[in-house]
Amino acid sequence: MLKDKRTSTQPFITYTGMIWLLAAQLIVMLPFTTSLPPWLLAVVVLAAGWRLRVLAGKASQPKTLLKAGLLLLGIAAVFLSGLRLPSLEAMSALLLLGFAFKAVEAVQQRDALVVILTGYFLVALHFLYTQSIIAGLYGTLALIVLTGALVGVQQTLEELTPAQQVQFNFWIAGQILLQCLPLMVIIFVLTPRFQPFWSLPLPTEQHTRGILDRMAPGDIEKLSQSADLAFRVSFKTERPPQTDLYWQGLVLQHFDGREWRQFATEQDPEQLKWTLKHEYSYQEHNLKTQGMAYEYEAIYEPSGQNWLFTLSPTTEVQGEALRAADYRVMAKQPLQSPLLIRAVSRPASIRDLELSPKLRALALQLPSQGDNRSRELAKNLYAAAGDELTYIQTILKRFKEQAFFYTLNPPLLGETDTIDGFLFDSQRGFCSHYAGSFVFLMRAVGIPARVVVGYQGGEWNKAGNYLAVHQFDAHAWAEVWLPNQGWLRVDPTSMVAPERTEQNLEAALKKEGRLLEQSVFSSRKFAWLNSIRQQLDRMQYGWQRWILSYDSATQAQFLDKLLGGLSVLKLAGWALALLVCLALSGLIWLGLTRQAHAEALEHRLYRRFTERLSKQGFERRLDQTPSEFGALAAQAWPAQAEKILAFTATYQTLCYECDEPQAKQRSSLLRELRRLLSQLP
Amino acid sequence: MLETWPPQFAHWFKPRWPRTRTLTLGQRNIFILPSKTALALLGLIAVLFLLGINFQNALVYGVCFWLFALLIVNLLHTWRNLRGLSITAIHIQPCFAGEKAVLELELACPPKQQKFAIKLAWPEEDAVQVNLMTTQTVRVKLSHSTQQRGHFNPPRLHISTHYPTGLAVAWSYLALEITGLVYPAPAPKHQQPYPTNSLDSTHPSGQTLSGGSSDFGGIRSYQTGDSPKQIHWSHYAKTGKLNTKVFVDYASHDLWLDWANLANSGIEPRLSQLCRQVLDAHQAQQQYGLKLPGLVIPPSKGEAHQARCLQALALFGVEHAQG
Repeated sequence: MLKDKRTSTQPFITYTGMIWLLAAQLIVMLPFTTSLPPWLLAVVVLAAGWRLRVLAGKASQPKTLLKAGLLLLGIAAVFLSGLRLPSLEAMSALLLLGFAFKAVEAVQQRDALVVILTGYFLVALHFLYTQSIIAGLYGTLALIVLTGALVGVQQTLEELTPAQQVQFNFWIAGQILLQCLPLMVIIFVLTPRFQPFWSLPLPTEQHTRGILDRMAPGDIEKLSQSADLAFRVSFKTERPPQTDLYWQGLVLQHFDGREWRQFATEQDPEQLKWTLKHEYSYQEHNLKTQGMAYEYEAIYEPSGQNWLFTLSPTTEVQGEALRAADYRVMAKQPLQSPLLIRAVSRPASIRDLELSPKLRALALQLPSQGDNRSRELAKNLYAAAGDELTYIQTILKRFKEQAFFYTLNPPLLGETDTIDGFLFDSQRGFCSHYAGSFVFLMRAVGIPARVVVGYQGGEWNKAGNYLAVHQFDAHAWAEVWLPNQGWLRVDPTSMVAPERTEQNLEAALKKEGRLLEQSVFSSRKFAWLNSIRQQLDRMQYGWQRWILSYDSATQAQFLDKLLGGLSVLKLAGWALALLVCLALSGLIWLGLTRQAHAEALEHRLYRRFTERLSKQGFERRLDQTPSEFGALAAQAWPAQAEKILAFTATYQTLCYECDEPQAKQRSSLLRELRRLLSQLP
Repeated sequence: MLETWPPQFAHWFKPRWPRTRTLTLGQRNIFILPSKTALALLGLIAVLFLLGINFQNALVYGVCFWLFALLIVNLLHTWRNLRGLSITAIHIQPCFAGEKAVLELELACPPKQQKFAIKLAWPEEDAVQVNLMTTQTVRVKLSHSTQQRGHFNPPRLHISTHYPTGLAVAWSYLALEITGLVYPAPAPKHQQPYPTNSLDSTHPSGQTLSGGSSDFGGIRSYQTGDSPKQIHWSHYAKTGKLNTKVFVDYASHDLWLDWANLANSGIEPRLSQLCRQVLDAHQAQQQYGLKLPGLVIPPSKGEAHQARCLQALALFGVEHAQG
């Protein structure tokens, strides 16, 4: 059992260490292939393969010139693969390239450490692209493998085969990281959250999706094909009835004859933010609150856009959001990761008893010409109705009673006179057609009106107690302004297809039967499949709600719940209690309580045996084995020779031949040891 | 070489690292600090924290805090890897001055525990790394260079570990109560003619080795077992008593390695010379004795005799107090 292994002063990476490193690199790089050039993966395999061949003695280490050439080639390839230069992607791609190339250079342990630390960084970097549960689990796996590599590259256990070593290191890494988990959670919960210090380039990979800032006939039905989630809402108070769930997103005021837009000129998000802040800012005194107040939290999926969707009007909003004069709520930044806001809405409130001239002008805008049949119709009907309210009802009645159909695939309407085309010719349309033409008919007779786009309804998740709103819930409706009543919501679609608002899109299109055939609703057909889907969705919601959206507000709320009123003293008390618990469990875990049994019984008995003999003058030298010592002592003390030899033999059997499971044999041997010891003088 | 603790801290160090044969590492005598790698990781953690803030990304925060927790928890693991380990000095192989003295140590870990990548080192001298994985004890050898003959007291030994992640280093010192022998460096071979003056006339009586066969040594009364060839038959015929003739070999044929007979002067050169002679005589399988001022080792041969002679040379004039 003599060990005489010398270690060199310059620690190198061993073959198994290199395999660990390669595995860690592959695992770290794999998820990047969806957003970055996949050939980077080939680079790491080739680089590590080369290094492994060098270690096996089958190739020589590449020359510096060659390495530099390959690196330049790689950098050129990164730029040629179409990544914009000052972007997160380009930075990630360059980092990954260096990471991949490092494999061929990983000779000393120091190189391995560089690779592993970079790997940790890349794991975190990938979370900027996706934060799903799957990504989280995968990231955890990557962390374990990286930590395993950290263990593996620094020492070799010759006692184990390479496969066993991998398993062992994996186990060690997993164990340590698991032990880190409670501490990590505590730090996660207690660390203060700060506002961003400076703005960094965001991943451009996510394209904008969901509702756009304009609406041409047929735009919204495209969304109805998508089962992607838009946002989830959980209510603190009771939930409004399904027919009242109108999630206002943005208001479209400007009509150019075909398309509805927010303003006459196109504005990018920054300009729009400026306009809304300065020209159309939210005025609290315009709102006369009344009726039921609904309090809720909504988490919006990353859409790459600023739109948020709330029940209008909101009286309170918390989070990274601003409000405007049209009662919309808008995120301050385009949504690249899930955003949580808390809001209170009072849908029955009266909005804008007085309409400012600016808003009135916006709400009455129409193109100077076109759609003449519709203008004619409006004038005639308004003259017949006499007042605004009757006129509105006449129009709605017309939609209901005439041969108007609600359909996902309406006929094309051409470039001009789209309102005429719909109202008089096709009479088939989706919500955008109804909302657009309704507002047109209102404006044609001088009633301020506007198109609102957003979502209507949502799917109630009973298990999770929240509402999930999907892209196919996208909807467009109208608002008209009446003196003394302010803005009123009017949904012309509900006249044609009441099921749309009472139930959902699926019910409204039952006659058509088209959606059902497509995958959008397929999992909703079977009850059991549906409940599994809802459970999964609920898990994701919890993940988003409690982990991804853990911000300073959630933190304060959580701590408040935990501590019952936040105070420094209480916080300190909890921290102290936690520390004491940690320290205690640490001490127990470190085995301080095991000290008493540090020496096995047989060794203690043997020690007593040698003490007895030393009283007789037979000292055991440290380099004597028990059998050598036993033989000598027996020779020197013939009277007790038999017992000495028997004791030594039994002790050796216990130490070297008795396996752990044979407890019975063990205890009988121990009894024998005790008996022999007691017989010695 | 013995106690090299800084004097102002000696009162703190001494009870923690007593000079003993066996030292068990525990809370009292293990140092632990984060390593350089840990500092690099700390830098990375800071970068990740900034990344988490700027992108408001909870999972980046998660990775950041997890790595921080790893730094902390790993300290305990590294510490535990050293804790409970007991180190026993077994013995030091004697060596010649200028060669390496080899210390044999036994490392034992508490039952049901495993220890990994334990590094034992004399800085600048020798280092060994061992695992205690399948066995509870393991023996290791470490060498240390020697300059002077006499006693060898090994300097403080460093015992350290980076296991498992290398993010922390735990270390301790071992001041072992064990003494080795350093023989004088043997003089170069045949520097001086082989001593032939040893057929010693100054000791006419010499020493007799009974049971010999060459010279007649006398007559004694018969004892059972005496060879019939050696019975003094003529005396038996005269007296009727059985007597035995006894033959002896004279020890004066043996080689005496004598301090007084050496040509060179000075203590160390003479000891070196004698050392060479002892080695040569042993190799030639000759009987030899050693005479030093104040010490005579009677002639004999074999490993034990050689060791005894070499020890006498090693400790010639060395105070025994240290031994």
